[in-house]
Amino acid sequence: MKPSFKLDAHPRRPHPPLSGPPAGYFDHLPMRVMARLPRADAREAASGWGWLAFLSPALRTGLASVAVLGGFAASFYLGGTPRLVPSAAGTASLDAVPRTELVGYLLTSGARVESADLAVLTAANPGVAKGFWHASEDELTDALDAQPSEDATYL
Amino acid sequence: MDRLFAPGIKRDLCRGVQPDTCSPLLPRPPRLEDHEILLKFQDPASRNLAFNQLVRKYQGKVYWHVRKMVVDHDDADDLTQDVFIKVWKHLENFRQDAALFTWIYRIATNECLNFLGSKRRKFLLPLTDVGAELAAKIEADPAVAGDEIELKLQQAILRLPDKQRLVFNLRYYDEMPYEQMAEVTGTSVGALKASYHHAVKKVEDYVTRNSAE
Repeated sequence: MKPSFKLDAHPRRPHPPLSGPPAGYFDHLPMRVMARLPRADAREAASGWGWLAFLSPALRTGLASVAVLGGFAASFYLGGTPRLVPSAAGTASLDAVPRTELVGYLLTSGARVESADLAVLTAANPGVAKGFWHASEDELTDALDAQPSEDATYL
Repeated sequence: MDRLFAPGIKRDLCRGVQPDTCSPLLPRPPRLEDHEILLKFQDPASRNLAFNQLVRKYQGKVYWHVRKMVVDHDDADDLTQDVFIKVWKHLENFRQDAALFTWIYRIATNECLNFLGSKRRKFLLPLTDVGAELAAKIEADPAVAGDEIELKLQQAILRLPDKQRLVFNLRYYDEMPYEQMAEVTGTSVGALKASYHHAVKKVEDYVTRNSAE
């Protein structure tokens, strides 16, 4: 039967049985540490971006990733897509044009209003008839349905 | 006597501050107290000398605290220097809510645990392999030659998890009070007592099982 080992009964050493450091190690260690200290100008730089050196590498990487992604997001947001001119703005500018001028333009410019144009116009803004016509939407729809399918000049 | 003095050394000695270079014939000036070191460190003109004093005062304790954890002298040397570099960087912001040496010990402890953790992750070594690697270094050390029980004891200690081994070293070798150990490790006194108790049991069981008849 092996005798149980008891730590309290074992003579305690001040530290594990390890060979001491080389001779003169502690005499030279302070100078070696001082030689590795950051220089004064590096300490001054700490007020700028030097604080980053105090962060862990993982945190620095995360901050850099956030900065890059933020740059992309900002470029998309600021670039954006061109805003569509709202139909209200278009009709508002047309509203400012006297009706007689509109009719004259349509009669003399050679512009041909075709059934497809009317279909697109009414589909985009079903209420547009209220600004230009004195007919109800149902009456206009019936009139359009009665027209032949091939394109024709209406004015 | 004046010929023994390099320029500036006599002035520094008169101030009670140990210069970086000192004639071996001259007695070392008395060490500064912690509050004196902190006060001189705040002054840019005396910062380097104050820090030199701090290193000389605590280098032995820091070195052996680190060496007990990492075993290898070269690793301990690197880590000891890293500890004092960090002390230099953060001493200005030291709030003095704990004793200076407790704060330095805490930095040294974290450096050791980070080193051992990164070593394990770097080489994908499980806990027991790291312990075996450290044990092999102790076995090769001539200081333990011929002392079988001491060798088994060291093997048992190195098999403990890093944090538990740290607690064991602080209590068994440094005889640190649990209250101070709590400040160093950031762990409660009760948890530390339990950890040390279990560590002792593990060590005793290992040595009993593995010692010769």
